[in-house]
Amino acid sequence: MPQDLLEQPPAAEQVAPQVPRRSLYPRIRAALTAYGFMGPVMVLVIGFFLIPGIILALLSFTSLQDANFQDAWEFIGFDNFQRLFSDAFFPKIFRNTIFYVFTTLALFNLGFALVLALVTTHIPRRSGFFFRLMWLLPRLTPSVVYILMWQRIGAPSPFGIYNQIAPEFLGATGGNLIFGSGGSFYFVSPAGAWIFVILVNGFVGASFGMIIFTSALESIPGDLITAAKVDGASTWRIIRDIKLPQIKWPLLFIATYQTLSLLTSFEYILLLTEGGPGLFSTEVWALTAYKRALKSYFGNSQWGFGASWAIVLVLVSLLLAIVYVKLFKFNELIEEPKIENL
Amino acid sequence: MRPKWTRVRTLILLGVAFAMVAAACGGDDEPTATSPETAGIELVSLTARCKANPPTEDGRCNNLLRAVPAANAALEAAGDNRRIDLTIIQDNADWGDYKNEFVLASDAGQAPDIIVSGHEDIGAWATSGIIVDVTDKLGDYAEFDDVIESLWTSTELNGRRWGVPQDAEARPMYYRTDLLAELGWSQAEIDGLSAAVASGDFTMEDMVDTADEAVQAGVVDSGKGWWHRPKNGPDFLYYYYAAGGAITAAGSDALVFDKAAALKVYEFLADATERDVLVRTRLDGDWSNWNTDVAEGKVLFWFGGSWQWADWAKNFVADLGGEDYLFDNVGFSAIPGLAAGTGQAITLTHPLIYMVSKDAADVDLSLTLIAKATTKELNTEYAVASGHLGILKSQETYGPYTSARLLSEVLPLLEFTTFLPNSPFFSPWSEAYFIGITAVESGDLTPAAAVDVVVAQLENELGSNVVIN
Repeated sequence: MPQDLLEQPPAAEQVAPQVPRRSLYPRIRAALTAYGFMGPVMVLVIGFFLIPGIILALLSFTSLQDANFQDAWEFIGFDNFQRLFSDAFFPKIFRNTIFYVFTTLALFNLGFALVLALVTTHIPRRSGFFFRLMWLLPRLTPSVVYILMWQRIGAPSPFGIYNQIAPEFLGATGGNLIFGSGGSFYFVSPAGAWIFVILVNGFVGASFGMIIFTSALESIPGDLITAAKVDGASTWRIIRDIKLPQIKWPLLFIATYQTLSLLTSFEYILLLTEGGPGLFSTEVWALTAYKRALKSYFGNSQWGFGASWAIVLVLVSLLLAIVYVKLFKFNELIEEPKIENL
Repeated sequence: MRPKWTRVRTLILLGVAFAMVAAACGGDDEPTATSPETAGIELVSLTARCKANPPTEDGRCNNLLRAVPAANAALEAAGDNRRIDLTIIQDNADWGDYKNEFVLASDAGQAPDIIVSGHEDIGAWATSGIIVDVTDKLGDYAEFDDVIESLWTSTELNGRRWGVPQDAEARPMYYRTDLLAELGWSQAEIDGLSAAVASGDFTMEDMVDTADEAVQAGVVDSGKGWWHRPKNGPDFLYYYYAAGGAITAAGSDALVFDKAAALKVYEFLADATERDVLVRTRLDGDWSNWNTDVAEGKVLFWFGGSWQWADWAKNFVADLGGEDYLFDNVGFSAIPGLAAGTGQAITLTHPLIYMVSKDAADVDLSLTLIAKATTKELNTEYAVASGHLGILKSQETYGPYTSARLLSEVLPLLEFTTFLPNSPFFSPWSEAYFIGITAVESGDLTPAAAVDVVVAQLENELGSNVVIN
């Protein structure tokens, strides 16, 4: 939750001038009411973010691993961070993360979501509803089932749908996507794997923005559109000069929310490519943190070292959240309505 | 007013729903074996945790369950008034998740009494104290005298024993005899391949040359001349051993990384991929496609495990004739030597071990149960069903075991066997070494560059716990 929002005075204070100042009771009651409403959320934030965040930070300074899991934590200063930044693949994983987050965000979570919202609000209402429902299916499908479907699409011939039918249309003697064998056809390269990773995440991510943008578009007063039409504005002009400016805040909100969400998401990549093919081709930061802390074929997971990867991600996310809040002037979004100040 | 039949239907539905909820709450899905409770008898609940590929490996935990009556009879005969009530938790979880589950459960004081896991886990688990040193208790159980002596080595750390072998396996090179014949090999040459491998006359380099010929001749598709497993695992260590590499050094806990041996391994793999014998994307992690292709005869040579034989017969080629089809078309031998390395044939055994956790309700009762499951009858049933090797001396002459053709024929491979090290540092060592394998197969790095990257990773990960030679 943006800090500015937390600092807003309770709604009851806005009518403070009408309350006799000498009585504390109404002010206490208003404060209690505000905290009462915020209480459940605060419990969640403290229980599921603040406390785990503190534990994670502490863990990142320890040598905790399976082999000393029963011992008291051994604090080793910044050794884990030194090890992390000396890792030969740290630059590659960092670049991968930036590429993955901003490409998926731009193409799907914002771009495609906006296209979907605009298209489905420009067609008959029932059809729009139907297509939005279709685009929600990736989000409704359990992750493992969803990835199994993609794997069956991309598997080498004769197991995969794409590789079975693509040669018929594209003239190749066999097709191989990311799991292919043969080595000389389409998408065997890391670029092919990236296409899949971005499509898989993008199809899920687009539906969230689509819902938000659709509701924002539908709440634009109809008389604005009608007036524009009367003035002879084309559909494109209406979209560009009326609709997009009207949904500025939802766009900024989705950009912020989905950036942070993508930074910490790795489950689809884990299930689809495990960071491959080849040498960390599609490995992102959150996946590395997970692997180091929790996934090792021969055991002896490195909990402390994994925590150091994760805490860097938390810090980057916090930094980005602050940048977004300042850059996009979120305080204007939650400004009190001008009408109230008259 | 609502019609009467509607109310009756509502009541019936509510009744059914209540009965289902009551059944779900009251029932216990976990299989248990309970002795009849009589006066003065103390029932001790034990839990065993196993990872097993169903249905072939179910005996891993089921044998413990079947041993409960014998264990309780032994307790009764000894005048012990305790009886075992066993619950098993068995699934085919990912190894990494399975191991983490045990570590976390141990930290919470809720670990199962008995866990079956790879022997290499003894390195970390014994060091952290979450499994029990059973050295001094093993002598109390006559059944353990029957265990093949060399397998106890895999249960040892610092001269102490931390569990009881549950299974062992052979990791052979498999080859399609029908495809070799198609390539022009005579029956005598095909029949003599296993011996040629054992004597060092047929090496990994020869295997790649033959596979290359098969690809050129169109006997197999490009990239399907020779395959190894599709993800990291114990197999890759025997390449390093075959290249002359050592991983441990006497008198030191630190692991060793031999750059010259690793370079030979990476050069061999780079050569196999460059010649299109081994597909560049072989490390895609997809066991399903891998099993289908090797079982159905799409690949000429492949390095696998004896336990996969039963899986192929049951789950992949049952319609083609199952095990008979495999015997008609597939041969097996030790892993050929690497001519650039030692030149000697090799294989690796990775025994799973029954270990007793620090949270065990009773270590003696747990060992009593393990002892009663460590019999030639139960272990043979498991070994035959799953394609694992026996672990008992008595199985060498036990009819049901010796009549299992695969087990009898792969048993001589143990002559060439090696083990993983029981070291807490093996996991990061293996991950770094595997990075080099991934890099040369994908073509991301040359073999020499891969060695440099692996050395940097090892030094960064293990510091003074690794010695680079």
